[in-house]
Amino acid sequence: MRLPAAVLAVLVASLSGESVRAEQAPLPPPYAGAYQPHGIDEIGAWREDDESERKLAASNLVIRDERLTAYVKKVLCDTVGPDRCNSVRVYIMREPTFNASMSPNGTMRVLSGLFLRVHNEAELGGILGHEFAHFEKRHLLERFKSARRGTDLVAWAAVLASIAPTYDTQRTYQDLELSVYGNLYRYKRDQEREADVLGIGYLNRSHLRPQGFAQVWQNVMAEIQASVRVRGLSKPNFNAIAFTASHPPEAERAAYLGELADAGASAREDGSDRYAQALAPWLPVFLDDQIKLNDFGASEYLIQSLAQSGWTAWLWQARGELYRGRGTPRDLVNAAAFYANAIGLDPTLADAYRGLGLSLIKTGHASEGQNALRKYLQFKPNASDAKLIAMMIPKEATEK
Amino acid sequence: MTRIKTSLATTLLAAPLLITAGPALAHKLHKQGEAAAVAESSLTVTPSRDWNQLSARIGKNTETWTLDGEQLNDVTFFGGIEPGRPLVKERSRKREPLPKFTTSTLLPEVPELLERTSRAYKGSGSFQVTSVEPTRFLDSDGVFFSYEFTDEDQLTRKGEARAAIIGGKLYLITFEAPRLSYFGKVVAEFRALADTARLR
Repeated sequence: MRLPAAVLAVLVASLSGESVRAEQAPLPPPYAGAYQPHGIDEIGAWREDDESERKLAASNLVIRDERLTAYVKKVLCDTVGPDRCNSVRVYIMREPTFNASMSPNGTMRVLSGLFLRVHNEAELGGILGHEFAHFEKRHLLERFKSARRGTDLVAWAAVLASIAPTYDTQRTYQDLELSVYGNLYRYKRDQEREADVLGIGYLNRSHLRPQGFAQVWQNVMAEIQASVRVRGLSKPNFNAIAFTASHPPEAERAAYLGELADAGASAREDGSDRYAQALAPWLPVFLDDQIKLNDFGASEYLIQSLAQSGWTAWLWQARGELYRGRGTPRDLVNAAAFYANAIGLDPTLADAYRGLGLSLIKTGHASEGQNALRKYLQFKPNASDAKLIAMMIPKEATEK
Repeated sequence: MTRIKTSLATTLLAAPLLITAGPALAHKLHKQGEAAAVAESSLTVTPSRDWNQLSARIGKNTETWTLDGEQLNDVTFFGGIEPGRPLVKERSRKREPLPKFTTSTLLPEVPELLERTSRAYKGSGSFQVTSVEPTRFLDSDGVFFSYEFTDEDQLTRKGEARAAIIGGKLYLITFEAPRLSYFGKVVAEFRALADTARLR
């Protein structure tokens, strides 16, 4: 009776309620060192994973910047400790989404969209530590086994139910099926909670300010709200758990992560200066990727949050691009003002002259617009669209 | 990471192909030398070799042609996109809106429009416009541009397009194919096809 007993254990465990009891998070257990896979399931999973990592290493979506990768690795090491972090290879991928993932063999994928949504090493470390916790606890393997147990049970129940085909049996079977599937999702959410607890445990022990991890979820909720407000959708419920939800709801995570953080450590440094410095070459690129996703509310929120540490030329330029991209007449007027602000801070920012010129032409200020485009060509004579822009200048001049 | 990103047309074509079973399901062969009106519009091309037309449309006033399947070479015609409309059909007008062509869109902004559409539709950050040149297209001032993008199938594709804004409507022809072998092999066929484009 090994099989039902195991499933029963899962069911009983799940009845005890879905939550994290909050005190301060326990310190992480001693690290066992370089782990090797055991058993046919794990060995198989690692083998597939090794193959997938080989493909990943050759992928054109990976950002091959040694300094950035080394910096992210360092933040991971600062968070989880030098003994643990040696088992990880970090790959940064050009994808403008808020996510990171960790696979069983120690491959960590960090998506570039994450860097716009964390503002210091403490927040970044929280996310990386959470992913590392999945690896340390071997969650993917456990989930695979739990899915196999659950679907085995449903398959056997189907066989047994077909022996006594009454309405009662049918109903009981359907209830069981629903309950098992529901529990597979719940199991995943509980793993996420466990990874959160261990992740904040790493941060509590590190030299970084552990309160940063809860802040990430506050920021994520604010961004989602900003996005839906502009799209005219109803405000999402950050406490609701859908049947198939893969993660606990954001509000719950923000609440328990706040409580689990070491209250005595709130005065620690969060490394925001080092973060800003390390990401300086990339943030404009990642912000540009974000703006081109056509999510006006979220992009405007991210620009505003980046601007909290001071407006820069590239931030104004990005805001101009965002407004010109949406392109209503009032947006174009705003865009022209933002580009002008960018030029005010950096009079050699060629792309701002391009945006300014196009925005002015579109709002009926052709001659001013052409002047701005002339400046664009002056600062960037080899721009990829130089010839086309050059054609616009005399042509517009003769038309108007 | 279960999404597989391929060319915009492929991504869009896959779903309707599986679900809809309308009368227009059959693909069509366009024979060499026979002029064909494309994309429900007055845009007409005269192929210099046989091309296949795929039955599914990725949006209003669009049409997709291919030689070996849309993942290997994909020619998409956009025949007169009206102001206020996106290039391709939106998955959800409210939740996932796409950028729109507007009355104030300028020629240098057409490559941006295609880039933003592709990025927004696929949630991708890899689309790069590599060159933008002025050209004559459909007997008007037009823009010729090339671009490159990598989808989640890890295959980098190259694209080439020409566009013009005529009577307030956007006419655009794009060609996308894997950078490895396929682009170079078929791009001359595409150029020959696009050169024959006329407005009737």
